[in-house]
Amino acid sequence: MSAKFDLNDDSVVVIIGSGAGGGTLANELAQKGIKSVVLEAGKRFTFNDIENDEWKMFGKISWLDKRYIVGPARIADDFPNLPAWIVKGVGGATMHWAGVAMRLQEHEFKMKTVAGTVPGANMLDWPITLDEMKPYYEKAEDKMGVCGTEATGMPYHPESTHYKVVAEGAKRIGASCEQATLAINTQPRDGRTACQVNGFCMQGCKVGAKWSTMYTEIPRAEATGKCEVRTNAMVLRIEHDKTGKVTGVLYADKDGNQQFQKARVVAVAGNSIESPRMLLNSESNMFRNGLANSSGQVGQNYMTHTTGGVYAELPGKVEMFKSTVVPGIVHEWKKHDANRGFVAGYELEILHLGLPFMSAFLNPGKKGWGRELSESLENYENMAGFWICGEDLPVESNNITLHATEKDQYGLPVPVVHKADHFNDTKMREHAYAKSKELFYSLGATKVNNLPPYPASHNMGTNRMSEHASDGVVNRWGQSHDIKNLFVSDGSQFTTSGTENPTLTIVALAIRQADYIADQMKRKEL
Amino acid sequence: MDKNNNSENMLSRESSSEQSRGLNRRGFLKGAGGAVLGAAAFSTGLGLFSSNSYAAERIGKRGNATLLRMARDIYPHDTLEDKYYQQVMKPLSDESSTDSLTLKLMEDGLNQLDKLAVDQYGMTYLAVKKESDRVVILKTLENSAFFQKVKGALMMGIYNNEELWPRFGFGGSIWEKGGYINDPSYGKVDWI
Repeated sequence: MSAKFDLNDDSVVVIIGSGAGGGTLANELAQKGIKSVVLEAGKRFTFNDIENDEWKMFGKISWLDKRYIVGPARIADDFPNLPAWIVKGVGGATMHWAGVAMRLQEHEFKMKTVAGTVPGANMLDWPITLDEMKPYYEKAEDKMGVCGTEATGMPYHPESTHYKVVAEGAKRIGASCEQATLAINTQPRDGRTACQVNGFCMQGCKVGAKWSTMYTEIPRAEATGKCEVRTNAMVLRIEHDKTGKVTGVLYADKDGNQQFQKARVVAVAGNSIESPRMLLNSESNMFRNGLANSSGQVGQNYMTHTTGGVYAELPGKVEMFKSTVVPGIVHEWKKHDANRGFVAGYELEILHLGLPFMSAFLNPGKKGWGRELSESLENYENMAGFWICGEDLPVESNNITLHATEKDQYGLPVPVVHKADHFNDTKMREHAYAKSKELFYSLGATKVNNLPPYPASHNMGTNRMSEHASDGVVNRWGQSHDIKNLFVSDGSQFTTSGTENPTLTIVALAIRQADYIADQMKRKEL
Repeated sequence: MDKNNNSENMLSRESSSEQSRGLNRRGFLKGAGGAVLGAAAFSTGLGLFSSNSYAAERIGKRGNATLLRMARDIYPHDTLEDKYYQQVMKPLSDESSTDSLTLKLMEDGLNQLDKLAVDQYGMTYLAVKKESDRVVILKTLENSAFFQKVKGALMMGIYNNEELWPRFGFGGSIWEKGGYINDPSYGKVDWI
């Protein structure tokens, strides 16, 4: 079963993080016989730990280490220490994700070409195309079990009331709405059960119908005897030799002792705040601005998707919680159309919150109280709503930096996240709010509540992929431009955000990256 | 005090936008059963903290009643009985009974609340009859640790309270019963 590697074994790939990117990479490599040590900052959860309870699971699985979010956006006031809503534990954010699995659109790989120069944005084309990604998307859809795709042939979920209500509204205003392609089994498949619609996808799937590396990729990697997962292992630094190649990873183990694991290759997959943070924390005499940072782009171009919420109070019962969390998507505005007054597109993702979270997010932060809010919450069972998910432009000043003085429990500088709306984001969000209103008023809504963005689960761009070493951190394989045996394997390598949820693309990139690493090892290039 | 509470309750009910939203609120009222009648007579001079707690003793009867009024102003649900507001504040009450810092936060906050009310309206917070007038006072305290502490405890206690979920029409955990996929109401909608 699970392997156990010596700290001095310098033939292993050290993968930092066990989520969509790291977990997938570990298993793909293991299936090819390539050894890896996965360093996971969190613990290992079991199905017994998963409860259908929003706050309990939030407290149990969220990444709650000290962080700051600063900048002019309201989120900095509402959630000053919670820029991102992600997971600390084996499986990472694949425990929390809603399962929405969509491919990026063709134009989204070349936004600079499509949209041209946008003032205040650091636009760039991906060094890869949709055509190149297609076979990997198909593999990812098959691996994850995405319903409603050719790759699996699995049907969609039966339509929930929440879906039907929104779909009717979409029809009335002439907007296209489809059921969501979810990496959630609608039939028993690949050793996992079918979804029974508990409605708590984002609290960790209790029955394992939703794909998560926690109970798919990770145990499969371990079963090969080629992968060792070390939990409660917080990475402190990535070390390198005189030639600039990385040699291994210094981490604090579960008892707080420092350990150094030697490595042939290091793959960073700690999500878009921790991944650049690790590279910045690994500064040295040779790499004074942090590892892989000759471009100065490590930690820059932090993107979250342009988001917001919309919850309408309708004339009849919806009971939106009796549904998968995201049963469908209004796709009408997903394409780029400069005539709308902004570049790129957005999706309106039908999404429910339970009453506890609705009370926290309907009007979040200190201002959320009073009769108007209470009365809306009394209409909870008549609510339907969206989470807006639109392309967020790369802006260099939206970034991850290290706090000048404050250290966390590991002695590492606390990350500071700066996030401000680009003018394009603001216009896009306004458009999405307006279209949502139109849709819900067509159904006789008495009130439509606009929710400001809340802590981001989609975090991208802080180690972006680029053709040239001068304007990005990694190349088309997620391999750093500066250091050959250092890879980035998570969403931080996204050049631009696209409008689609990032997980499917992260998984497809990890499968592709594993092929490349195996090939390069064979050629003795790594 | 009792008289004030009764009348201000009536006032707040009338001054709300309830009428225009009557249709939508029916769901909540329906679920509340006999609570509608109960609400009109909810005031029995009780405070927010259970009367036998140390915190209640220290804060005093009026302070405690002020806290309850404040709680009902923060998340006003006219048909929700006082006992729920009290029950949900128990953790804060307990904390105030054992932690002198929390108790001081509550005492100082209440004093400030009354001081602001006296400055503005010439009477204590509890004596201010109109909800909208009291909200003006609360708004000035909105960013204080005191206000946020009470608000946070209430938010968790009311909306994260399983006992109250049926009243709001939220189902909670269902996996034990096989999920919603076989629920007779799954996918049903009769009003569009």
